[in-house]
Formats: sequence, C-alpha cells, structure tokens
Amino acid sequence: MPRNGALALTFNALVVVFMLAPLVIVCLVAFTPENTLSLPGWSWSLRWFEKVFHHPDFMTSFVNSLWLASTSATLSVALAVPSAMAITRGEFRGRGALEALFLSPLVIPHLVLGVALLQLFSHIGATGSFFWLMLAHVLIITPYAMRLLISAMTGYDRTVEHAALSLGASRWTMFVRVTLPMILPGVTGGWLLCFINSFDELTMSIFITAPSTITLPVRMYMYATESIDPMMAAVSALIVALTATTALILDRIYGLDRVLVGQR
Amino acid sequence: MPFLELDNLTKQYGHLYAVENVSLTVEQGEFISLLGPSGCGKTTTLQMIAGFVEATAGAIRLQGRDITHAPANSRGLGIVFQSYALFPHMTVAGNVSFGLEMQKVSKAERARRVDHALTLVHLDAYADRYPRELSGGQRQRVALARALVIQPPLLLLDEPLSNLDAKLREAMQFELRNIQQQVGTTTIMVTHDQAEAFSVSDRVVVMQSGKVMQIDTPYQVYEHPATDFISRFVGKTNMIPSAPGHPQRHIRPEKLRLVAAGSGRVNATVAERFFLGSQWFYHLTSDLGELTVTIPNDGSAPQAPGTVVGVQWDEANMRTLAEGRA
Ligand SMILES: Nc1ncnc2c1ncn2[C@@H]1O[C@H](COP(=O)(O)OP(=O)(O)OP(=O)(O)O)[C@@H](O)[C@H]1O
Ligand SMILES: [Mg+2]
Repeated sequence: MPRNGALALTFNALVVVFMLAPLVIVCLVAFTPENTLSLPGWSWSLRWFEKVFHHPDFMTSFVNSLWLASTSATLSVALAVPSAMAITRGEFRGRGALEALFLSPLVIPHLVLGVALLQLFSHIGATGSFFWLMLAHVLIITPYAMRLLISAMTGYDRTVEHAALSLGASRWTMFVRVTLPMILPGVTGGWLLCFINSFDELTMSIFITAPSTITLPVRMYMYATESIDPMMAAVSALIVALTATTALILDRIYGLDRVLVGQR
Repeated sequence: MPFLELDNLTKQYGHLYAVENVSLTVEQGEFISLLGPSGCGKTTTLQMIAGFVEATAGAIRLQGRDITHAPANSRGLGIVFQSYALFPHMTVAGNVSFGLEMQKVSKAERARRVDHALTLVHLDAYADRYPRELSGGQRQRVALARALVIQPPLLLLDEPLSNLDAKLREAMQFELRNIQQQVGTTTIMVTHDQAEAFSVSDRVVVMQSGKVMQIDTPYQVYEHPATDFISRFVGKTNMIPSAPGHPQRHIRPEKLRLVAAGSGRVNATVAERFFLGSQWFYHLTSDLGELTVTIPNDGSAPQAPGTVVGVQWDEANMRTLAEGRA
C-alpha cells in the first residue's frame, strides 16, 4: 500500500477545504431568514427557496437550462460514439487530425466563440433560436464526450463483436446488444460531463442567448449585476444538490472513478 | 461432395503471403487440426473460413455452397475464440442463449437448449454467473457451449486450450473430443501444440510459412513426416549421416535402444542424462554425431554419464526424407 507523507496529506486536505468551503458557505447562506447575504444563526428559513420557486424568470431559465443541457449532451454523445469508434478502430489517413479537430474546441476561449457565434447567428437570423443555441453548446461540450469515449474504446476487445456476428447478429444488433453495453460507463460518464458543462456554461451563452432562451447561469449573472440577495445562494444550493445527487447515483451504479476515466 | 472444401485459398498482406494456395477437403464429422509454428497462417486460414478475413484468392465451399465472400453473420458457424470472447455483461446462460435469440427460437425452447448445452460442458450449476466469476477452464467451456448450442454445421476452434495449465488442458482435450463425438460436429482446430493436435484429431494439417506441408493422420505425420521440417516440428529426431549424394536418414529417439558396448550398431558415450518421470532422456556422442535416446523408466538402473554403451535399432524404423521444401 502506498504511503502518503504528512506533507502530501496536508496539501490534499487544503485543496479539499479550499474547494468545498465556498460551496458549504453558499449552501448555509441559502437558509438565512435575513435579507442580506449572511450566515443563518439559530433560526433557519426556507423563504429564499420559496422565492426562487415563485420567481417565473428563474423557473423558466432553470427549465431552459435543463432542457438545453439534456438535449445538447445527448446530441454530443450521439455524435461522439461513432466518431470515437472511427478514431479508435479505423485505419485511415488523417486519423490524428480528426481526433485533434474533435478536441480543438477545448482550447478556443468561450469568449471568442461567443462573439464569433453572435455575429454568425445575426447573419443567418438565428438569434433567439433554441436549436442554434443547442448546436453552439454541442460544439463546446463534444470534446468532453470524445475524451471519455476514446479512452473507453481504446483496448476494446473486438473479438467479442466477432463472436456476436458469428452467432448470427446483424451489425445493428451487435452494436446495441454488445458494443454499447460494454462502453456504457464511457457513454454515461461522457453524457454527464457534457450535461454539467452545458448547464454551467456562462461565458459563451451570455452572447448568444435571447430573452426567450436565457439559461440559468445567464439569468443569475443578470440578476446578480442588479442586486445581491440570498436568493442567489438558494439557486446555487439547488444546483449543488442536483449535481451531487447525479454524482451519487452514478457512483452507486458504476463507481464514479470509473465513469470519469471512462473505462469499463 | 466433400463437406468443406478449401480451394487454393490465399491471403496476401502487401507482399507477404500469410496463406498461400491452401487446399483441403474435410468430410462430415471429421476433427481436423491445423498445426504449425507461430506466424504460419493458421489463424488467418480459420478467420477466412469464419468470414472475418477476406480471401485474396481461392474459394471456400461448405456443403457445396460457395461462402468465400458471404458475410460472417450469414455463415452460421460455431466459433471458439482464443480469448474466449464471452459477453462480459451477460450471464453464462445469457451468453449461451444469444445465438438462439438471433435465430428467434422460442423462449421455452431456448431455455431447454441452453440447459442441455450447459449440461454437456458440466456447467449447468453456473448458469447465473457472470464470466468474470469463472475460471479459465470454465470460461472455455462456456465459449464451447455457446458455439455448440446453435448446432453449427462446422465448429472452428482457435487455440482453444492455450491459456490453460497442463493438467486442465489434458482434461479439456479429452472432453473436447468426447463432446465432438457425441454431437458429431465437423471441427477444425488451430493449435501449435503437436501433442494436442495428435490426441484429438482424425487428421492433421501441418502448415509452414502459409503453405500446407502435409495432411495425414497423426500416426502418419509422426511416423512418416513428409519433410525434414515436419520431422523436427512434431517431435525429436536423430539425423544419421549418409554417404554424399544419398538422402538424409532420420530415426526417432524412442526407436533407439541402449545395449552393451560393442553389441549395437554403433558405440556411444553418455554425455548427459535427464529424468522425465516416465522416461530417461539421454544425450550421447558417437561416430554418427550426437544422438538423443529416450528409454522407458521400467525400473532398470539408468546409465551414468561417461559410460560407453552400444546403440541398437531396427532398420525398418529408419526414415528417409526429402530435403525440407522451402
Ligand atoms: N492484419 C494483418 N496485416 C498484416 N499482416 C498480417 C495480418 N494478420 C496476420 N498477418 C501476418 O500473416 C502471417 C500469419 O499470421 P497468423 O495470425 O495467421 O499466424 P498463426 O499461424 O495464427 O500464428 P500464431 O500461432 O502465432 O497465432 C504472420 O506473418 C502475420 O504477421
Ligand atoms: Mg494464431
């Protein structure tokens, strides 16, 4: 068993504390009965949560974001599965180039993308279109799905697929009954990462959302520029709860460490 | 009409002939082994029959039907892969039942046949386990059951026993042959282990560098190898020098006997001696060069190194071989 030195342990503990402390504080503040951002003392209150649920703009944006993140994550994974398959199995020229192309959005700043897409959308009259907003999200989140799926498919034993074919399966049946179940952790993990990245995306979305398609982060940003009250903390606490629940479920089903590395 | 016919089957990778003009006819119910050193084209031959490698030239006919270019999933052959290739996310029963589902066999009938196949390989108690919960030998048998349950006309086995330890391997060879005879499925097995090929097959196809060198019964291959190469590949052999211009002469180590010095055909000195349990294995030096001799361990005292002994043999056991073809 590897042994950690005291220094490494302290360092890890500090990293965890610095990462978790703001989240804990935000979640605590969400329960304050006061009108200002303050830690609740002895009395706790759900009034700010109630306010969120009765705030039509926040609720619309929340639904927008959920819908946007689910559809774009699904489309990304649907694109990434065949692409990752071609890249890990195909023997064709330009494989490396294709892989680089799929991963390249990772290194383009979202700010730049936002400005560029804003111009493109106003050119083609796509501003305010949910569909084009979703495509923009697909563009920036697909690399995450690609990364996980490529690592899930590298070293995949293809004789298992041959076995399915030899038993009379069609190519489609083989894919559904054998290939897909075997890369499922990669697919789920990829979808989850895509979902979180889309749900959380602010920088690019600020430029390309229209009043009808405003996402939750953009709504929060707009709200926060005008007033800071504990409702922001309540929204944040809800997002934390949502993410944590998803992670917990995944951990129960597959083991989170496996999912995030994308391996079987 | 032969059951299976390979007609000048050839596979070329660039300039390399992985398989070159392999011709073979197999009768129904036969057990055939493809035997040869690593890289001689055994797997490639099998994969062409299975449909996972496209033949460059030649034809494959199964029961008179040309299947050379038929897709793998239309051939209906049973295949046991070297790596077993079990579906890791399905139970043993799920694995075995997959092929029947593809054939749209009814659920009740499926359950019956899966149960029968698992009983055949002595795994009926393991139906609900996952492959990762099984030993190598058990996985092997699941793979066999999965291939047999679809009642294929032809069973293809690619080094099915190579991952097993010696004891289990022997047991499985016996079982494989038993099952094959019970079911009567025509079988082609790839192996690079001559003992395995000999113990289970009706006929052995010896391959070298992509070509077929000899097709014969195990006894004939061992006793009358067609080439120098085969003689060495399927066991040990002693080369006896002959007069210039005459063909090479060979004799197997177990055909030599140790007798009193002076009363054999040649005298030799014991250089080394190894104990193999059921046999003694000797290295001798003689006027004929180095000789290897195996003597059954029948309880008599072995010869000590340095002893001078006589070596005797029946001339009838001496083989004359053509020089090994390239
Ligand atoms: N996809 C391929 N591309 C190029 N060459 C190949 C390919 N597959 C096999 N070969 C070559 O063809 C020859 C025969 O290979 P094959 O796998 O049939 O050998 P084998 O007899 O099964 O050997 P082993 O006992 O090691 O499994 C080898 O020289 C191998 O390098
Ligand atoms: Mg091989």
